[in-house]
Amino acid sequence: MSPVSTLKTFEDIDCTFPKTLQEALELMADEKTRGVPLAGGTDLMVQWESGALPMPERVINVKSIPELREISEADNEVVIGGSVTHMELRQSSAVRRAVPSLAEAAATIGGFQIQIMGTLAGSVANASPAGDLAPSLLITDGTVTLAGVRGEREVKLTEFWKGYREIDRQPDELIVRFRLPRLPEGHYESWRKLGARKAQAISKVMGSSRGRMKDGVVSCFKVALGSIAPTAVRLYDVEQWIVGQPIHDETLKEAEQRVADAVKPIGDIRSTAEYRKWVSGRLVRLFLEELAARSG
Amino acid sequence: MNKITRSWIVNGEPREAEFAPVRRLLDVLREDLGLKGTKEGCGEGECGACTVIVNGQPVLACLMAAGQVEDQAEIVTVEGLEKTETGRILQQAYIEKGAAQCGFCIPGMIVSSYALLEQHAHPDAGLIRESHAGNICRCTGYEKIVEAIQTAAERRAGNTGS
Repeated sequence: MSPVSTLKTFEDIDCTFPKTLQEALELMADEKTRGVPLAGGTDLMVQWESGALPMPERVINVKSIPELREISEADNEVVIGGSVTHMELRQSSAVRRAVPSLAEAAATIGGFQIQIMGTLAGSVANASPAGDLAPSLLITDGTVTLAGVRGEREVKLTEFWKGYREIDRQPDELIVRFRLPRLPEGHYESWRKLGARKAQAISKVMGSSRGRMKDGVVSCFKVALGSIAPTAVRLYDVEQWIVGQPIHDETLKEAEQRVADAVKPIGDIRSTAEYRKWVSGRLVRLFLEELAARSG
Repeated sequence: MNKITRSWIVNGEPREAEFAPVRRLLDVLREDLGLKGTKEGCGEGECGACTVIVNGQPVLACLMAAGQVEDQAEIVTVEGLEKTETGRILQQAYIEKGAAQCGFCIPGMIVSSYALLEQHAHPDAGLIRESHAGNICRCTGYEKIVEAIQTAAERRAGNTGS
């Protein structure tokens, strides 16, 4: 007698296809119709299949909700809908102008197929420490807007990732858009990803910076790294220390050391803690060198 | 589970399928529609063997819930390529250059090639490699694949005068 299988498969998942945001929020509001928001599926489908996450009872397709697919520019910010794909991020002239490191980061995720499927909100909600878009979002000091039938709520991105794979989202809420302050005049951004290969690689360490030099010294510097802690992190102590400093051998060396001391990475399948510490310092050093070179 | 019905244009022909909404597009194509050319390699989005084109864009059929592909969507699988000029040119170039060895990656690989040439008539080597970075081949070392795509691009441009 063969045992009765209780394992659930993709075939057992119910799915709703709301056509508007309002319809989606109403589905999310009621426990009986609520589902896991599914957009590109590039993280969730893998995690359900492998058992890393249990197969859900129900999903809600948010991929083609028109309100979530828009990119618009305002005076001081770019507003990006949650279901905008990585390919759209890298190709959008508005995103490239406002947050160039975000467009660059999107271009390093997976291969073309993953970039065409995966979405900004999906990557953010997956909340992997190795999520490649997080550092570029953090350095903008921007916000994420969540919506429920009760209304909207805006959360600072620097406070949105609460811990390992944990975000500040209520069960009835959807991530609807990101408001990202644009790169100010005279400022520059950098982005680098260290992985085993150029494509289809999950990061060992990656990061972004946004900064400015004025009168020979750093006048503004924001830097965030990922894959070195349970969430991507801003390095506030290093940011504060470098402001007012000129960029030369000595300050670069000290910045490198301060970063290595500040991060507390773990060793895992992709890299060792020691390498991650060292390369974190090197990355920030490189960002400062690029800032100095571009500021000419 | 409540099944849903979708009507698509698959390889130029209207096809209808009924399936559980989160059934993988890969399984609907292979098992429900009998299009076994599309392969499952890793089943987790790493290898690209299951690449198909939905509305002009290459996607991974192993990670896509079939219900997310809307009615009237146009799907192209490896079986549909020989119905197109670009597909036939690519097929011939792959053969001539010896771009296939064991061949398991090729249905996905050549679908990526087709998506590329339909969007970029004159891709440089960098774009060819980047657009195929999501397709892993364990045999060829990629050189012959890149050569085949370059050759196909030249012939296709010559034919269309673009």
